Order: sequence, then structure tokens, then C-alpha cells
Amino acid sequence: MFGIKLGGSSARRRRRMNDILALAALLAYTVFALFPLFWIFLMSIKKPVDIIATPPKFFFTPTLENYADVLSRPDFLLPYKNSVIVSVGSLLLSLIIGLPAAYALARMDFRFKEDLAFSFLSLRFAPELIVLLPLFVIYQSFGLYNTYIGLILVYQLITFPLMVWMMRSFLEDVPKELEEAVQIDGGSWFTGFRMIVARIALPGLAASCVLAFIYAWNHFVFALVLASRDTQVITAGLLQFISFEQIEWGSMAAGVMLAIIPEFIIAVFALRYMIRGLTAGTVKG
Amino acid sequence: MTSSRRLPYLLLLPGIALLVAILYPFLSGVYWSFTDFDLALGQNPTFAGITNYLTSFAPGGEGLHAFLITLAYAALAVALQTALGFGVALLLMREGAHIKFIRALIVLPLLMPPVVATMMWRVMMIPDGVLNYMLGWVWLPPFDWLGSTSTALFSVVLIDTWIYTPFVILILLAGMQSIPTEIHEAARVDGASYPREVWNLVVPLLRPFFIIVIVFRGIDSLKMFDIIYTATRGGPIDATMNLHVQAYFTGVRDLNIGESMSFLVVLWVLCYGLAFVLLRIRRGRMA
Repeated sequence: MFGIKLGGSSARRRRRMNDILALAALLAYTVFALFPLFWIFLMSIKKPVDIIATPPKFFFTPTLENYADVLSRPDFLLPYKNSVIVSVGSLLLSLIIGLPAAYALARMDFRFKEDLAFSFLSLRFAPELIVLLPLFVIYQSFGLYNTYIGLILVYQLITFPLMVWMMRSFLEDVPKELEEAVQIDGGSWFTGFRMIVARIALPGLAASCVLAFIYAWNHFVFALVLASRDTQVITAGLLQFISFEQIEWGSMAAGVMLAIIPEFIIAVFALRYMIRGLTAGTVKG
Repeated sequence: MTSSRRLPYLLLLPGIALLVAILYPFLSGVYWSFTDFDLALGQNPTFAGITNYLTSFAPGGEGLHAFLITLAYAALAVALQTALGFGVALLLMREGAHIKFIRALIVLPLLMPPVVATMMWRVMMIPDGVLNYMLGWVWLPPFDWLGSTSTALFSVVLIDTWIYTPFVILILLAGMQSIPTEIHEAARVDGASYPREVWNLVVPLLRPFFIIVIVFRGIDSLKMFDIIYTATRGGPIDATMNLHVQAYFTGVRDLNIGESMSFLVVLWVLCYGLAFVLLRIRRGRMA
């Protein structure tokens, strides 16, 4: 698209040269982006001897031992289960409180609208510990420390602003005439709301849910501070594998693969809408 | 009519309730930063004025050191990622089926938990690890990536760059695609070379997108916790100890809530300073 169009064979040769250089640079970046994933995958199918071998081994006999090991360990399975519970719970709660808010911000005019919208977004901009550290003190006296409910509540700090701003951006894309037509036919705002959310903005809703889930799944510091063994999530759980004196590389690598592959699979469906989620609707990709 | 005027607030009520609920711990925390609250001593907080701020942020204090590391980390990360991301985004503007495939692949680091991504790098960065082995391929000496005070900060910034450059790429690419092709054609008719076209045309047109990149990446790297905690826990010694990680150790490990909150209040002011830039841009564009 930006290529230079000039006549003559030397110019054409130079253009060809530029194309090759550009592709080479792009490939170099791609290798940089993918190599760590590739390496940890190799590690996950290595035997212990091959893992600690110096120089590092690129060729070896693969094994599934690490996966079998990690899938039989309660210190992997429990955090995995907890992550599913906390992420799904946070997503659902954000949906319940965020969807009406997004609709109001997208469709209605009222005082302090932008101030409220920005206040929601600002939750995402605060350093987590500024709320977490007081909650660490407060949760203990309310019995919320080390509970799913306590975690799901605090996860709203990230999933709620994401849901509100992403859905607001999607709902604003739907022509207003659709609901006006519903209202002329005598339907309430709720009929209109249901129609555009459930039909027209459905892909956007699905993408918002996927991203909210991923954000929750990837999060670390909430659970680090407010969860203990029973409710610990996968990020903190995996970190345990390399925190003790004996580092269990193989099991850790297998655990990493098991923790990220589901994300990659669901993210493929939301990739098109990711930019809105990442910038809270400020950029529409 | 009254019901329809109240309706938006009714719809927003749960969200507003959440905001109000958050205010309680937040304001308690800000208050504690002005007290000598220490859970290890089990005392009730007594008001101490700005003592915490004065002692931590005095020359040689932990707070001042962490403040400088915070700024250095954010400045390095944002500069590196913006430059690299812009370059890769330009390359991705070329056409071809393979480009779409590459675009999907390079987003992967952004989708994984930063803690997990950092664990992968920690594995590769050990002295006998694969990174040093590959340095040997190009006749470079091994590197003590995370183990030495002089290299650790750059190594964590490298991990940050690996994870978050795709974010910059996605935003700038969206910006580039919003530039009408006629503008490029006009530049070419005027005989502008490709580098001039990029510098005089693409960069100015992308200004709002650059600002969004800098605000979002700036805030997230100012308050970076996951990568530093996982890679070095602020070490070796305190070479990578930024405000957020320092606040964790002072508050959650040492239970000195008062001092920890003073670090967090300073960090919060830094982050919100940047966030207000974003607010002003939005206002400007929405109006």
C-alpha cells in the first residue's frame, strides 16, 4: 500500500529488495513473539534429563509424562477449578450490572453522563493495591477473605469497566431508529433493549464476554492478596511451581500450556473486536 | 415523563453502588497513609500527618528509589514499545494473505497471563538457559539477565515489551487503516519518498492513536506488578523495585499499612495524571 511506484527496472529491483527486507523484518519479529511459546511447549514434552541438559536440547524423544503428572496434582487442579469459578462468576456479575449501565450510557441523555462513564473507566486505571490493601484489612473482619464471593466482588474492578465501555461502544454502533420504531409500536425501552442486545449486538456481547473472561483469568494480584490455599487461582498456583527450592520445570511447563491453550482457542473468536476491549472503546478497530 | 428521566440512573444504580462501595476502602487507605497504622504492632491507627511521605520520599528513602524505578521502567517500556510497535504496524500495512496470518500469530503474547508469560522468560533467562545458548550462536558472551543489578531492569522491560508490543501494533494498525488511501496517493503524486511520507503524513495523522497508546501503556507500566513480582520480586537487591511491588512488600509482607499506602497514593496520583490526559482527549473528540 505504501510501496513506491516508479518505472524502470532498477527501481523495480529496488522495490523487490524493499519487499524482501520488510518481510525479513516481519519474520524476525514473529520469531521473537512466538519463540518463548514454542520453547515452553518443547519443555512441556521433555523428560527431566532433557530439560536440564546443557546446552539446551532442541531434539529429543517427546513424552506426555509432565501432562499426566500435572493433571493428577491437586495443587494444579484446585487453582484451575478456582480460576474457572472466579472468572465465570466475575463475568456474570459484570454482565448483570454492566449491561444496563452500558445501555443507559449509549442511548440516554442525562446529567453527569460522561463523568460517570469516566469514573467507571477510572477503576481500571488505579493501581490495584490501593484498594486491595485496605480490603486485605477489611475483608478479614467481614469474613470475605479467602472466599469466592470476596474475589468475584473485587474482580469487578477490571471486568466491570471493560464490559461497560466495550458494550457502550457496540451499542452506539446500532442505529437508534431501531428502538424508536419499537417505541412507536408501543413497546417499552426494555423491549428495545432486549431486541438490540439479543439480536443485533450479539457478536459484540460475545466478544465482550470472552475478553472479560480472559482479563479475569489472567489476573494475579487480587488473588495473591485476598485468596489463600482454598481459593487460589491458576496464575498464583503456577507460580508456586517455581517458587520453592526444587523447581519442577516440566510440570510447570505442562501447566502453563494447559492454562493458556483454552484462552487462545476462545480468543480466536474475539480477535476482531479486541481493540475496543483493550482501549475501553476509545478506538474502534 | 419523570420515570423516563429517572430510568438512566436506575439502570446505572448497580454500577454507582459499586463505585461507592470502592470509595470506602479507597478513602480508608488514603487516610491510613497519613497514620502510623502497622498491623504487625496491632495498633490502632493514629494520625501522623505527612510523616510517612517525608520519611519514605526523603533522599535515600525506599519510596524515592521506588519512584525513580517506576518512572524509568515506564519510560523505557513505553518508548521501546511505541517505536517497535509502529515499525511492525507499518510492515503489516503491506498486503498479502500471509500478513493476516502473521497478524493473528503475533497477538498471542497479549492474550496470556503476564505472570505466565514472565515465568516462560524466567526459564529462558537462567544462566544456562536457551537465551544465553543462542547468544553463543552469534558469538556474544552470556548475559546475567535477571541476576545482576545492572541488567535486571532492562530484562524486565524486555519481557514487558514482548507481552505488550502487540497492543501498540493493534492500535496503530487500526489508526493507519483509518487513513484514506487518497492521502497516500496525493503524497506520492507530490513525489514524496516513503520515509518522508511516513514522517510527514502518517505520524501526524496518527497523533490521537499515539496518545492513546502512551496513556494506556503509560498507566499500565507505571503500575506494573505482575511481571516484576514474577521475574525478580524487585531484586536483585532493589534494582527493579517499583512503587507497586514495594508497596506489596511493605504492606502485605511487613504489614506496615501506613507506609505502604503512602507509596500507593503517590503511584495513584501518577496514574491519574495520565488518565486525565485521556479524559481531555475524549472530551475534545466527543464534543
